Amino acid sequence: MSVEYRIASESSVILYFGHTIDERISDRVFQAYRALKQSAHPAFREIVPSYASLMVGFNAVRYDFQTTCKLIQALIDDAPLTGAREQNIVTIPVYYDTEVGWDLEALALEKEMSIEEIVALHTQTTYRVYAIGFAPGFAYLGQTDERLKTARLANPRKSVPKGSVAIADRQSAIYPAKSPGGWKILGRTPLAMFDASYQGLSFLHVGDAVRFEAISQERFLALGGEL
Amino acid sequence: MSHKTLGFTVRKGGIQSTIQDCGRIGYCDIGLTQSGAMDETAFGYANMLAGNAFNTPVVEIALGGLTLLSTCQQTVAITGADMHPTLNGEPIGMWQTHRLEKDDVIRFGFAAQGQFAYLSVTGGFQTPFAYGSFSTSVKEGLGGIEGRKLIEGDFLPTRGKCLPLKRRLPSSLIPNYASETVLRVVKGYQEAWFDAKAQETFFTTTYRYKGEGDRMGYRLCGEKIVPSVTGILSEPICYGAIQIPSHGEPIVLLKERQTIGGYPKIGSVVTVDCFKLAQLSSGGSVRFQSVTLEEARASTLAFYAHFTF
Repeated sequence: MSVEYRIASESSVILYFGHTIDERISDRVFQAYRALKQSAHPAFREIVPSYASLMVGFNAVRYDFQTTCKLIQALIDDAPLTGAREQNIVTIPVYYDTEVGWDLEALALEKEMSIEEIVALHTQTTYRVYAIGFAPGFAYLGQTDERLKTARLANPRKSVPKGSVAIADRQSAIYPAKSPGGWKILGRTPLAMFDASYQGLSFLHVGDAVRFEAISQERFLALGGEL
Repeated sequence: MSHKTLGFTVRKGGIQSTIQDCGRIGYCDIGLTQSGAMDETAFGYANMLAGNAFNTPVVEIALGGLTLLSTCQQTVAITGADMHPTLNGEPIGMWQTHRLEKDDVIRFGFAAQGQFAYLSVTGGFQTPFAYGSFSTSVKEGLGGIEGRKLIEGDFLPTRGKCLPLKRRLPSSLIPNYASETVLRVVKGYQEAWFDAKAQETFFTTTYRYKGEGDRMGYRLCGEKIVPSVTGILSEPICYGAIQIPSHGEPIVLLKERQTIGGYPKIGSVVTVDCFKLAQLSSGGSVRFQSVTLEEARASTLAFYAHFTF
């Protein structure tokens, strides 16, 4: 698979590994991201992965564009390409209930399913963190079961509670902090997604594998969840 | 005098005054925006005059309205948009240092031209360091004073240092915040999806800034251009990136931009010209000019050589 290097600005280059949401492409992005991060090379100021691309912001005072591209290429070429990459597998407990899953009922109606069926579909998939953005620690998880595919809310909410677990299109996400949002809310997790005490600050990182586990209200509260 | 009492008490916070340095670098991969001074030229001169290193935290005053009470003797410098600062009611000069005494009141009005003024203090503001930077990101509630803009009653600790001599920037170096400016652009990203006609339109149109902007980015109004592909997979966004959403008018993304996004981009405004754009007043206009990567880099080298050596 070839990598396309394009100019983003005079101090950043963007690498394209493909142009679709695809696990194999995401694997390549993750490998490159990890190789560049681990190099800890002072030329790199910012290394940002997304679905099929990776941007590298570099110190343009000391490095020109061509030199930086060669540096990146050498590091990526040396990165291990074969075998199962060590993937961080994370389980996120979620209290799925209309009490906190504000769109569960409407979604059940839309999909002509029971709430239990929706929860079963949401918890049976192993997701991948394709990208982080929108807000600190906001991870885009793909892909949800085709049967859960749904549009964003026509009127986004002004305030979505911290920890809300939501879906839109064929993606899922957890709101790391109270914020406006238009994704459909299925439940709430007691886990903090972004915290200064975490090494790396964010609970999830690009490339992680994620599963959701349904928990009771009791367990949610015992884990520190807030209603 | 106890060390804790050295600094400033905020009498009035103004429209949006925040602590800023050059920004938070290296956290975009977990969704933290860069933030930092919107105009690094005025920011750089503020620190240069006050005898500080380039990347020392200062107060960035957006539009105006800040009033501070000095609690000790200390040297400050004021640069950027002219907000008609006064010291105990008497007008004082921009682009120079001022030695303050205890209980002096420094007050900013509002700017007719330019958007951001900078107040530096010798030795720098001693505010909390968060994730590699002193910069405030209001949207994320990070950095500065409790991650927000300054409000009445806030205390800004300093080191209470004075410079022995007055310093003033020569007038030849003082930027003028013209209502028309040319922004140099390095083509990149989805450039190939904008055909020759769209590119000609983009590079010959005079775009107007109608005040639709903030620390995140500025939207410009004028001839619309359309790429051959409308949506792209969400991808990382660099400083200065020129995004063309479906309305066809450019948005230049600045210091507090989102880290990833799914709109096509024609390229990026050269770093040092983003600083000029940041100071453009509502009603001002810009033209885009395509330059080579080499020219763009040369401007970056010249800028940082001027300020950091």
